[in-house]
Amino acid sequence: MARESLQVSSGWILELLSLVVFSTRYLAKLSSVGSIRDEETCERLRGLIQRQVQICKRSVEVMDAVRRGAQLAIDECQFQFRNRRWNCSTLESMPVFGKVVTQGTREAAFVYAISAASVAFAVTRACSSGELEKCGCDHNVHGVSPEGFQWSGCSDNIAYGVAFSQSFVDVRERSKGQSSSRALMNLHNNEAGRKAILSHMRVECKCHGVSGSCEVKTCWKAMPPFRKVGNIIKEKFDGATEVEQRKVGTTKILVPRNSQFKPHTDEDLVYLEPSPDFCDYDPRTPGMLGTVGRQCNRTSKAIDGCELMCCGRGFQTQEVEVVDRCSCKFHWCCYVKCKQCRKMVEIHTCR
Amino acid sequence: MAGAIIENMSTKKLVIVGVILLLFQAFAFMVGGLIAPSPTTAVHYLATKCVDKVKKPQQTKWFMPWGEKKCVNIQSFDEAMAKGIEANNIVFAVHIPLPNKEMSPWFQFMLVILQFDIAFKMYNQIADGALVHIDVGLAYRDDMNSEWTEMAHSLEQRKLSCNFTATKTHENEGRHYECDLLPFMEVGSVAHKYYLLNIRLPVNERKKINVGIGEIKDIRLVGIHQNGGFTKVWFAMKTFLTPSILIIMIWYWRRITLMSRPPVLLEKVILALGISMTFINIPVEWFSVGFNWTWMLLFGDIRQGIFYSMLLSFWIIFCGEHLMDQTERNRFSIYWKQVGPIVFGSFCLFIFDMCERGVQLKNPFYSIWASDIGTELAMAFIIVAGICACLYFLFLCFMVFQVFRNISGKRMSLPAMSKARQLHYEGLIFRFKFLMLVTLACAALTVIFFIISQVNEGHWHRGEHMVQVNSAFFTGIYGMWNLYVFAIMFLYAPSHKHYGDEQSSIQCITGDAGVNSCEDIQPTTTITHVDGPTEIYKMIGQEAQE
Repeated sequence: MARESLQVSSGWILELLSLVVFSTRYLAKLSSVGSIRDEETCERLRGLIQRQVQICKRSVEVMDAVRRGAQLAIDECQFQFRNRRWNCSTLESMPVFGKVVTQGTREAAFVYAISAASVAFAVTRACSSGELEKCGCDHNVHGVSPEGFQWSGCSDNIAYGVAFSQSFVDVRERSKGQSSSRALMNLHNNEAGRKAILSHMRVECKCHGVSGSCEVKTCWKAMPPFRKVGNIIKEKFDGATEVEQRKVGTTKILVPRNSQFKPHTDEDLVYLEPSPDFCDYDPRTPGMLGTVGRQCNRTSKAIDGCELMCCGRGFQTQEVEVVDRCSCKFHWCCYVKCKQCRKMVEIHTCR
Repeated sequence: MAGAIIENMSTKKLVIVGVILLLFQAFAFMVGGLIAPSPTTAVHYLATKCVDKVKKPQQTKWFMPWGEKKCVNIQSFDEAMAKGIEANNIVFAVHIPLPNKEMSPWFQFMLVILQFDIAFKMYNQIADGALVHIDVGLAYRDDMNSEWTEMAHSLEQRKLSCNFTATKTHENEGRHYECDLLPFMEVGSVAHKYYLLNIRLPVNERKKINVGIGEIKDIRLVGIHQNGGFTKVWFAMKTFLTPSILIIMIWYWRRITLMSRPPVLLEKVILALGISMTFINIPVEWFSVGFNWTWMLLFGDIRQGIFYSMLLSFWIIFCGEHLMDQTERNRFSIYWKQVGPIVFGSFCLFIFDMCERGVQLKNPFYSIWASDIGTELAMAFIIVAGICACLYFLFLCFMVFQVFRNISGKRMSLPAMSKARQLHYEGLIFRFKFLMLVTLACAALTVIFFIISQVNEGHWHRGEHMVQVNSAFFTGIYGMWNLYVFAIMFLYAPSHKHYGDEQSSIQCITGDAGVNSCEDIQPTTTITHVDGPTEIYKMIGQEAQE
């Protein structure tokens, strides 16, 4: 019973992602555009809790951006983990990442952080491209007046993106109350993901005084590219802190399990239980695919090296002919003209 | 003429005047810090990737990024490949402002910065010195349903200066280059409610146009405009300051014309300073709210330039006229060596400004920094102006040093002088030191606030209130220099206390050496002598020879 409720409370983001992966496929069949347009679709999206459905209905226009954000999160996760035993592979069923992420592991911490960040990122982008009508001026604006924009301009779109991510993503954990350690961990990691964007905003300035002098200077904050956000969260993943719940007064907080370690900051990832080794396929745990058949690097000593990747089971070597593109001509978009080059490559796969 | 007001004023009155001026100064800072919003706003725009018809690209059509007549668009270029869309079919569309908002003439100007998001690809890297050729159109309309009217259309080139911080390996594919901001557009008035930018990056392999510019992922724009609230506060301030300076200026000049002698150089220069201040103050910007005057930005630059060069000239001449070294001055031509650099330097900056903002009147997308020759030319102008500024400050420092040397020299011989001469020199020294002190204070305050506004993030929280430091800087400094000019005209106007006995004010005493030495018993400057300054110069010269 306890275990079940834990899984339910932990799975929201995965379900959101599955919302993305499946609903879009599902929606794609329904409408050719494949976007979330009307309030009815909110009801049909699987995995959302009631509060999220309400938010979905209230801001349907944002859901498209949320969907793009989730796709971005999956792509980035798979890129960052391409060389690891667990390679962020998604399943065709619910939950998308399988059970790997429903436990309080490092991997779960990463997925939560990157998802919260990606939603904030995608909503901010949608704001800047004019897709959303509510951005900026509604939230955090100084000098609230009917002519707010004309009097003092609007606040940055990132404020709206982060606020939306907080309300939509965190509501899941908050609605359960902050009692369980999983909820605390997830909330912390969500925030850490958003912080990865917020604390790496690039400040850019333009001087436009008399004759372009810096007498008048305007500065603004630009969002880092998402690859950079992914790299930051991946670094935090590598240095994540194992924590446990402790009661201080009436509130429960997470503290490092090893008291000699430095306490984690807002930007660090935290996890509750150590990860499995991800070596073998486990039919009882969805998502635990094992590393059989994975490609590995024979010369590397790191986790992508055959030694570690194949968990000591050894590897097969095949010589394959690959058709590669060479001496290509590119345009800045959508055009590549290449010759085909054939070459022989050795491929190592785990037994 | 009697001495200036400042000499004949009692300390008590002087303190009262000082306190009143300080109150106004504090008020100027507070207006900016508490009422006005921050001076400018930067708005982010992400260009929507519209798809022009693959078969027949329509050059004349305008593409809307959102709204009812939204263009057919794609989210990312990965989709484009599959749909057979090519680079020449892509139109980047940006609507200024974002939905549900309107631009307003109160924004005064609009600058747009361009930024490319370019992903690193092993086989599609940015070539060295790559140029982007941009085909850009700007259109406007004043209500949501009317058609777009073209405002400008241009073929522009911008140099891509991007660097890739990570190592260039397969591993790092997909990371973005870090590219410099590109100046894109500058409009000197915001007369319309809605603006639309359509940007194309046409590819022509034969002419090597837009080849080797990497894989562009997105185009981002940043639109900068002055905040409407700040403009209103600024205009209100100008409207209040104009009559204040104008009235004191008329009063000042009336006082001078009341005297029997013609005005001397220093008095004329102070008047010129007042005129240039009024010129800057006159709120002609009010017209920009009703009329589409794009040259207002350039005009504002010129007005500021005139004031600055006037202020710098004033300092030099003021120092020169208080040099007390027995040379005859009171002629503008004496100062050509010092004023020359100012005039030449401002002229250089004027030419530069004409090349940049002047040309932008015709083509808002023009930037002198976009081409190599333009960059060199602009740098040349700026360097020459910088050299002129250095020269000027050397001259000024040297002159101030000379004045202080003469002052300490005079101090030594002061007790030996007659009472009248003593008063005269003390007056001179006091006037000089006073202005020196006030000027230094103003300059220091300007520099300090400038540094704060550069370092600071723009606003301070004080409990519930937010203090806009940058706005306070602008209104405060602007108010300060107005008060400075006001104070100079008031305090250095001729005093009326001794109008009656001007004619009898010269006494000539036969000295020991048998030379007539005439002394002005009034504490006035040498140059304000009733019979013209020459006589006094002669006298002092004689004395010096002794």
